[in-house]
Amino acid sequence: MNILLKLIVLIVPAIFIFLFFIILTNEDVYPGADYDQFELPDFELKDLDDSKRISIDFIEGDYVLNVWASWCITCIVEHPYLMNLSKTGVPVIGLNYKDEKQDAIVWLKKYGNPYQTILHDYKGNLALDLGVTGAPETFLINNGEIVAHYQGEVNDRIWNDVFMPIIKDREMF
Amino acid sequence: MIIEISHFLSILATGLFFLVGYFSIFTPSSNSSYLSSLITRTYSQGFFFLFFSFLIYVWLAITDNFNVEYIANHSNTALPTFYKITSIWSAHEGSMFLWIVFLSLWGFIFNIRVNNNEILKPKSMGIISFILVGFLVFLLATSNPFVTILPIPPLNGADINPVLQDPALAIHPPTLYLGYVGFVIPFACAIAFLLHGDAEINWEALVKKWSVSAWVFLTIGITLGSWWAYYELGWGGYWFWDPVENVALMPWLAATAFIHSLGVSIKSSQLRIWTILLSILVFSLSLFGAFIVRSGIIDSVHSFANDPDRGLYLLGFIGLIVFISVFLFVWRLSSIKSSSVIKKFSKQSFISINNILFGTLIFSVMLGVTYPLIYEFLFDQKISVGAPFYNAIFIPVVVLASIFLFFSVDSKWSRSINFEFFTAPIFLSAVLSLALTFFVMQFFNTQSISILASIFAGSLIIFRYIYEIINFLFKKKYVNPFSVIAHMSLGLLLVSISFNSLLSTERALSIDINSTEEYKDLKIFFEDIGVENNSNYDSIQASFLVEDQNGRAFNLKPEKRRYFTRGQITTETAIHVTALRDIYITIGDQLDDGSWVVNVQINYLIRWIWFSALLMGFAGIILVFSNRAKA
Repeated sequence: MNILLKLIVLIVPAIFIFLFFIILTNEDVYPGADYDQFELPDFELKDLDDSKRISIDFIEGDYVLNVWASWCITCIVEHPYLMNLSKTGVPVIGLNYKDEKQDAIVWLKKYGNPYQTILHDYKGNLALDLGVTGAPETFLINNGEIVAHYQGEVNDRIWNDVFMPIIKDREMF
Repeated sequence: MIIEISHFLSILATGLFFLVGYFSIFTPSSNSSYLSSLITRTYSQGFFFLFFSFLIYVWLAITDNFNVEYIANHSNTALPTFYKITSIWSAHEGSMFLWIVFLSLWGFIFNIRVNNNEILKPKSMGIISFILVGFLVFLLATSNPFVTILPIPPLNGADINPVLQDPALAIHPPTLYLGYVGFVIPFACAIAFLLHGDAEINWEALVKKWSVSAWVFLTIGITLGSWWAYYELGWGGYWFWDPVENVALMPWLAATAFIHSLGVSIKSSQLRIWTILLSILVFSLSLFGAFIVRSGIIDSVHSFANDPDRGLYLLGFIGLIVFISVFLFVWRLSSIKSSSVIKKFSKQSFISINNILFGTLIFSVMLGVTYPLIYEFLFDQKISVGAPFYNAIFIPVVVLASIFLFFSVDSKWSRSINFEFFTAPIFLSAVLSLALTFFVMQFFNTQSISILASIFAGSLIIFRYIYEIINFLFKKKYVNPFSVIAHMSLGLLLVSISFNSLLSTERALSIDINSTEEYKDLKIFFEDIGVENNSNYDSIQASFLVEDQNGRAFNLKPEKRRYFTRGQITTETAIHVTALRDIYITIGDQLDDGSWVVNVQINYLIRWIWFSALLMGFAGIILVFSNRAKA
């Protein structure tokens, strides 16, 4: 009985600590990433600069959809990376999220515009359909299908670890 | 300069605590009166340095010293002074600092309240000090709150998270921390007891009031958190089995079992192995809570920024504490064996059953918290363990525990009770509870076994203890006020929770301005909606005139706010509180036809849930301040 008690007392915490060690040191863990695949929902939104209507068919092929807003601090941090990304030829579409049009335009003038097109989602309807919880968030879209989603700031590490494997796998861009 | 002084004082305190730890544990003659008074004085000095360092830090926050990166990132010149102070514990570094200061505070109070002749004191102080050193090194090396921004500090600061700008939140974390770290006292004494290896030492009596005090803080802290989530986060309920709620619940369950077990060990030197194990478990679970929140291993409203290094350090340090404790325990097990056999149906037997049931609950919660992590790691799929899992385990176990509690009221220390089922108190309260349960079943037309069983169990306890109170009032029979109030609050809690889940309803309505919708007995008239500008946020404020069936009308003004500095959008609920129910309204988005989505909840007896939890804490306060409990 005593031996059993001794064993339990030693082994149970050892198991838990070992498990947590494994989980913590597992490099691939990105809590903000998910790889659920689903069709891009239908939408019709206005463009940020000249108020033309953009619907789901307007944008074709593979692109990165980045949710941002002028009120979002992390977006400023993320911004230089997106500027670089668009310079390397990756098409980046912006989804301006719950933001005043004028604020957003001023913001882009100040920090630069990496986006090919910007959808102005003032009410957050499309963002709701996409499952956006805040800004910044970034989606990878492969022929009208969402193949990766990351909540939080995208940087070199996130791009290489979260998006690159999918991009290579699907031979995108 | 002043930042460096504050920083330096913390480092100095770390050094002093290390000396205390070293001399009290590794010096053979640590019980000599010279050494023990040296330990006492050095610890106090270490505490004063650390405390002074914290006071300077508070002052830095009040005076908007944005040279300090942490303050610049979490405070703002526009904030009222009160929130400048509370911003210190609004994120990881500062709250860890506060956590450590509280840990040292418990040690300090123990240090000055307990006489130097107490044989366990030097080693206990040493253990507390080593734990402090471990956490201070963690703070200074991986989460330093004193990091400065040079050369030009920002002008305004980034602002505290708006959901944290709330009085309940200002006191919820400190109270909870005081509870968590308070269990360092029984833990340190248990370890000191194991180090001494002398079974004659009655460490249990020494720690009783300390343990109950920590338990009171934990109880109140959890209740405040539940209340805050209800009205500020707009969660609309009292408990969500959120991982971080769970890691606070586990030490509470363990502490509750520990306090029961402690009572037995003090009274009759039985269940001592349980008591030691539980003291280790309570403190380990408290540390585990810190690990879960601060390692970023779980996503939750509570979790701080994700940093694997912090997680590894904490895991390593907590692992070290746990392993040293269990090795000591295994090493000394044969000498602490509680000798006498426990009689069937004695008070001791009921408390050991209670220990087992609480152990089951703790294990289930642990499983609920960790299993999704393990599963995701192994199979790369997210699963969520939610209310159904916990309800399925908690309801039967708690009902069972309540029924044992009901019988244990008649039980005696070290003697079997002779079960005469038809003795008045047992019989009467059982009949009354059955009648009440049957009435609920008929009147509210419910078949839900879990609700009915909980109501039965809760009322069983209440009626049984009412009988005790009557006995006390008229026959002057002694009752333990702590036990009566704490257990009656448990009964009240069970009944309130049952009625809450039986009666509460919610509905999302879409209402046009100047029109009325009906929901249940309520007529909700949408008077107005407007935009209001405030110093640090814009808000959309709606105004509703709500009339209930008795013709009583009241205004409810829910809001949606957008904070400037972070752009965060928060929902401000509007709640009309009455004794029996809350009417709880939040506004959502405007629909395309111009109407607004309005979420209406009617929450029955929700105040009673918090009231019973607070009453339970209050019972603990009675015990701490009563003299009889010294025994």
